[in-house]
Amino acid sequence: MMCLRRFCALVLVLTLLPTTPTAAAKPIAHREVLPNGIVLLVAERPAVPIVFVRAFARAGAVLDPPDRAGLANLTGALLTRGTAKHTAPQLDSAIEFVGGSLSAAAGRDGLTASLAVLKKDLGLGLDLFSEVLLTPTFPAEEVKRKTAQIQAAIKRSEEDPGTVAARALARLVFPNHPYGMPVEGTVESVGKLTRDDVVRFHETNVRPDTTIIAVVGAITVDDARREIEARFGGWKSPAEPPATTPPASPSGSPKTETIQKELTQATIMLGRQAIRQTDPDYFPLTVASYVLGGGSASRLYSRVRDEGGLAYAVFSYVTPARYGASFAVSAQTRTAEVPKVIEIIREELTRMTREPVTERELKLAKEYLIGSFPLRLDTSSKVADFVVAVEEQGLGLDYADRYKERVAKVTPADVQRVAAKYFAPDSFNRVVVGAPKP
Amino acid sequence: MRPTHTLRLVFVATLLLGLAAGAAAQNSDRVLAATLENGLRVLLQEDHRSPIVSFQMWYRVGSRNETRGTTGIAHFLEHLMFKGTPTHGPGEFARLVEQNGGQDNAFTSQDVTSYYVNIAADRIDLVIDLEADRMHNLRLDPKDIASEREVVIEERRTRTEDDPGGFLGEEVSSIAFKNHPYGAPIIGWMEEIKQITPAQIRAFYKTYYVPNNAILVAVGDFKAPEVLTKIRAKFRRIPKGPPPPPVLAVEPPQNGERRVIVKKHAQLPIVYLGYHVPNRKSPDAFALEMLSTILSEGRASRLYKRLVYERQLALEAGGDYNYFSHDPSLFWFWGTPMPGQTPETMEKALLAEMEALKSEPVTEEELQRARNQVEATFVFQEDSIHRRAGLLARFELIGSYADKDRFVEGLRAVTAADIQRVARTYFADDKKNVGILLPRP
Repeated sequence: MMCLRRFCALVLVLTLLPTTPTAAAKPIAHREVLPNGIVLLVAERPAVPIVFVRAFARAGAVLDPPDRAGLANLTGALLTRGTAKHTAPQLDSAIEFVGGSLSAAAGRDGLTASLAVLKKDLGLGLDLFSEVLLTPTFPAEEVKRKTAQIQAAIKRSEEDPGTVAARALARLVFPNHPYGMPVEGTVESVGKLTRDDVVRFHETNVRPDTTIIAVVGAITVDDARREIEARFGGWKSPAEPPATTPPASPSGSPKTETIQKELTQATIMLGRQAIRQTDPDYFPLTVASYVLGGGSASRLYSRVRDEGGLAYAVFSYVTPARYGASFAVSAQTRTAEVPKVIEIIREELTRMTREPVTERELKLAKEYLIGSFPLRLDTSSKVADFVVAVEEQGLGLDYADRYKERVAKVTPADVQRVAAKYFAPDSFNRVVVGAPKP
Repeated sequence: MRPTHTLRLVFVATLLLGLAAGAAAQNSDRVLAATLENGLRVLLQEDHRSPIVSFQMWYRVGSRNETRGTTGIAHFLEHLMFKGTPTHGPGEFARLVEQNGGQDNAFTSQDVTSYYVNIAADRIDLVIDLEADRMHNLRLDPKDIASEREVVIEERRTRTEDDPGGFLGEEVSSIAFKNHPYGAPIIGWMEEIKQITPAQIRAFYKTYYVPNNAILVAVGDFKAPEVLTKIRAKFRRIPKGPPPPPVLAVEPPQNGERRVIVKKHAQLPIVYLGYHVPNRKSPDAFALEMLSTILSEGRASRLYKRLVYERQLALEAGGDYNYFSHDPSLFWFWGTPMPGQTPETMEKALLAEMEALKSEPVTEEELQRARNQVEATFVFQEDSIHRRAGLLARFELIGSYADKDRFVEGLRAVTAADIQRVARTYFADDKKNVGILLPRP
């Protein structure tokens, strides 16, 4: 439906890592390591006869060779485009005939294959699911077709100011790290990819010793283990060790970039590197970001939107990932007000560094961050995403509980200390898309 | 890419299908339904899987209730519903919801305006209190209206002015409907957003935000009779209003092709085709609904398979129908040509697909797949209390929450001959509305 009051989707996705299923005396999922190294996570949710399966292989865009940006993305997109037993149209027909879905796609850190089926069709679904991970054939015709589609999608995404701004910001925040490159690559880099590149990427990087499989829904742990072992038990890792990726290094002095577009509104993004959940300061940072631009009671929302009428969308968010993290502030405003909105954002960032947040703000942030957990784990699909994320980022299945404890302990002094470290306005890279020529 | 308003249709269709499955799955008939003395319709369904509740208020008002000169007023008012009452000041609604770990939002469509709060079940008293308060006591302060008007204008810039698909969709709707309010954008024309007055907004609020024009739905971890008692206690004081005026506008038959060509800064062209079709009141509605599934649901669907996969003409292509539309609306087709392909080729290819639907029945496999997809989608939706609540509301809006079973039966009964017949009846060449976006570098 359109015309939501608030532009919230992005915020919900990016604030990441909520928490526990409330009064959960028992852990959110069963965890075990299969003999070939696969980490199997199972969450039983018997009420609705559906099953979600996710496989996360540590084969993300961070492993793209420097001159092959988009390789992981192309590989992911091709997994469902033909296997040893089925052509792409056969796979599509088979899964859709039972009302299920099977898809695969790469992100920065990994490649995810997802299956959703009715419980009665789980056998069929898992057969197809294992085929696309283990025996994709990458037919030349399909490589050609998918390459053209990805190039067209990249071209069209140039129409979207938010995408253009986010790409530019990533380049500035992570100038010396694969995180600075778009997952999908560029029209040029994708044009250079070959079938051999894809075959090699899959062989080398999609392997059991760096793969997580989560099974969530109307299934028991024992049944899930049996079904997964039957299909993935014989899967072996290559002899050479898995590829490694260095953590992001500091980005140097911040930069400003203006991208001219003929638009009535400008997209402003400020961003810098930050910290991930393994750093104790992550929790005060999460609270600080929430007070600054997290919800409809936040400082930026109040000043820029409610009082100023300057924007429909304004928010801040921390994005932790395996090899680095970023903190960003984003707003869209009419072209003439760009300087004013940037000034307000800078003022509010500065204020976070100079004075402690009020007790009332702190209480609101904590109560929201802690109290909204159950809502973030209320469907099988959300549970699958969550358990994969905590496992992948090495946080442990008790992360939800620790998160709540850590957030609850944050003090105004913590928030100010962390803001002083990460919110100094001059430390931010800045991108503006759509501003008129000066 | 789907036009924003088509997206709306798609979303509705998906919800719809979801419901169908729910009916079969479990306890969907255990709904506590009541109508209060003031006309407020209440639907409550217990779901004890998680300690949460989805609480939703649906008002029977959308852009179809707007008059010329005030387009966008329904959506504008939706924004202002968060601006406070004498009891709960500006921003207090959102603050209280967040402080209690809840998530809220709202949307406006052509037919309805909907507000939801998803929150821990033990906080339901707070939500009942807040929703009852803002149904009747909204402040609508001119200063708040002035600043929120600028927010809505920014929203329009994002959705329409700077979005080629959104912009084209608006243009096609406006040529397809020369009389019915469905021709105007939900968010309103820019010029009219700027001129809507506080007095007009107050009158609109007073007319449509009355208990006898609303449906309250809650699904979650509570005891339905207890919650009904609480709802009654808070809402009963709100007086019933006069019945809101009916929308009398009727769209006259279309007497020839209509076409709009928009040149705008964009990377790829877009082609939209819209045909007037009946809504659920027609026996053809089930066949149209099944047809949209056959055309667009998944990679094995007809338009994806033929235009995107086999012929590689389109980056995306699809078709959409809104069974739930209050008044008759459009069946949409759309396609985004691949680089190097022209919009003319794209349009011809879409028209050829329509001719194919007329000349040959869809296959038994296509039909059975669509049936299975409908039923499965409905089981998947059962997993979310938010969706379950939304589906109850949508069926109640068009008749009764209990109609969902009839809906699934209706879809199951559709034959290939039915689909061929509706294609022949409604997709006539001289009844098409065509929109072409030509990229300007």
